[in-house]
Amino acid sequence: MEHEKALGGKLVTSQTAFLSLLFLICAGLLAWRYAVGIGPVSNLTDHQSWGVWKVLGVLVGAAFVNGGYVTAFLVYIFNRGHYHRFVRQAVLFSLLGYSIAATSLVYDTGRYVNLLNFFIPKYMQPNSALFEVGICITVYIVVLAVEFLPGFLEKFMPEGEGSKNFASTLHSFLNKILFLTVGFGVLLPTMHQSGLGALALLMGQKISLLWQTPWISFLYVVSSIFMGTCIVVLVDMLFHQKDLKNRGYSDLLKKILNIGRYVAAFWIVFRFEEIIRQGGGHLLYDAGFEFFFFWLEMILIVIGMIVLRKSSPRAIFTGASLMLAGGLLYRINTYIIGYESVPGMTYFPSVPEFLISVGMFALQFLIFITLVKIFPVVSQE
Amino acid sequence: MGIKRRSFLKGLAGAGAGLTVAPLFTGKAQAREAKMVQDSHVGMLYDATKCIGCKSCETGCKTANNLPVDLDPTGTFDAPRDLSINTFNIIKLYDGPEGRSFVKRQCMHCVDPSCVSGCPTSALNKEENGIVSYNKDACCGCRYCQMNCPYNIPKFQFNDWYGQIRKCELCRETNLVTKGQPGCTEACPTGAVIFGKVKDLLVEAKSRIQNSPDSYVNHIYGEKDGGGTSVLYLSKVPFEKLGLPNLPDHSQASVSEGIQHTLYQGLILPGVVYAVLAGIAFKNRSGHKED
Repeated sequence: MEHEKALGGKLVTSQTAFLSLLFLICAGLLAWRYAVGIGPVSNLTDHQSWGVWKVLGVLVGAAFVNGGYVTAFLVYIFNRGHYHRFVRQAVLFSLLGYSIAATSLVYDTGRYVNLLNFFIPKYMQPNSALFEVGICITVYIVVLAVEFLPGFLEKFMPEGEGSKNFASTLHSFLNKILFLTVGFGVLLPTMHQSGLGALALLMGQKISLLWQTPWISFLYVVSSIFMGTCIVVLVDMLFHQKDLKNRGYSDLLKKILNIGRYVAAFWIVFRFEEIIRQGGGHLLYDAGFEFFFFWLEMILIVIGMIVLRKSSPRAIFTGASLMLAGGLLYRINTYIIGYESVPGMTYFPSVPEFLISVGMFALQFLIFITLVKIFPVVSQE
Repeated sequence: MGIKRRSFLKGLAGAGAGLTVAPLFTGKAQAREAKMVQDSHVGMLYDATKCIGCKSCETGCKTANNLPVDLDPTGTFDAPRDLSINTFNIIKLYDGPEGRSFVKRQCMHCVDPSCVSGCPTSALNKEENGIVSYNKDACCGCRYCQMNCPYNIPKFQFNDWYGQIRKCELCRETNLVTKGQPGCTEACPTGAVIFGKVKDLLVEAKSRIQNSPDSYVNHIYGEKDGGGTSVLYLSKVPFEKLGLPNLPDHSQASVSEGIQHTLYQGLILPGVVYAVLAGIAFKNRSGHKED
């Protein structure tokens, strides 16, 4: 019988030391950013005022964590019990990812103290997609924390049948209301992911027709589903390298990725239909910067889908990584490559700007790796 | 066997993604009514054919709003080349095959502004008199207004440790209070830019085109462009050449709010979807299919 167990092992390894180093660099640069402002540290300007901090930190970060969304969908809504083993680690990964995404907003925004205005009724602005995104992130972090809480409590529960303490009482209560939590666990990411796409709507013709469409919210939700399947698989493979030769295991991974493939296929067809319907068809062969990145995004996903026809561990890993990369590039493309406020404007992140984003991702992985060693998160025989 | 593809896609459309799909199927995606110019709205009419490019308005703006001059890297005065945190109003020159024309740029004070619609913390507001105002105490510095303004007007103090958005507010707390009109219109010696109620300015603009149709492009920029603006433009040179973008007649805010409202009105749809999801999860709680 499979059950979640703490992985144990040394907390300080070369891996965690490296991640800590990346985060320390990031922390130092953040101190500089808070002292002097956004301008000297980054390449952000009035013409491209959202850069990697928002697009990598928040948009890509939020896409990165769709595992929790997809597993909740599969296990509790579609009632596929055999995916249950993925749930807890996906939820933890999502929880950390969203926390980092929210943190990104604190250093990306210029008047960070006023982020509290999101929660003060007189300042709330429900017409704004960005307001919706902010509220959904916050509430979803709480929901994910509640979803993860059982794993945390299990460490403190007494051994043996019949014995009870506060942790075990709370644990069984959480299990009883799990269906309430799961409802939010599916609804909120749907709203949140659609909101991330809806941010583009107001930018109108500043975003190329290769990405801009009234359906962009829907496309963001769909893309988050196929990316989610890839993330669930990649995170799981990280901890089960010795299971990879086991046929049953790779079949299970394939099953979940097949869902991702069909969703991605639908998404690609829909993308092309929207580009042509909106009169952007000529952009598909109009060689240039945007043309290049659009096709790079498509090719990554399509090659990923083709590679996944095979079921060797290597094919599963490569295919899922390629599809995920394509999906992430879609988000970068929408708000950076496809965005043009004035003709000829270019943007590339500065080194410190980029290192801050990298450091935050490093922090996410560092906390994740440490927690799975201490708490029962990963399924094992 | 694996997940049934059809049941998965059906569930997808039904449960989660239904949230985003519904408005488009019901054809209500652009249901939000267009906002109109009100009688109380004030604005400006800029007639490029009357402008001599003296930049008195730039000086008038800086004086009225107590703005520092833009200096070049050596510390000497350099005429600003574009709007910035210290320059809310600027005169530019177009010289090309279509002729020669100056153009004045500042906040357009849109009838249905993207910045106001997108601002998550109500820092930007459409005031009673039509002015798009900014409140730094509400602003979280997310700079979404910069990303979505079709005219690239809001500027952010990137080099300040705790910067704010800077833009033309039609002198609503300075010259408009003391002199009854903004610094730029007060300073203009030729009457190329005049201040007034938007409705009156529209009548005036129409009569100018009617009286001398050969002097103007037959289009009042801002009457309908981007859903309309409180600053109106007349010119002989096509507006696109002057850097005024070619926008549809509806505002982007009406598109985006149309979708948002349909999805989230009274939180009914999210509530229903939540109930369905929680219901399914409740039904499934006893055990999972291990097919």
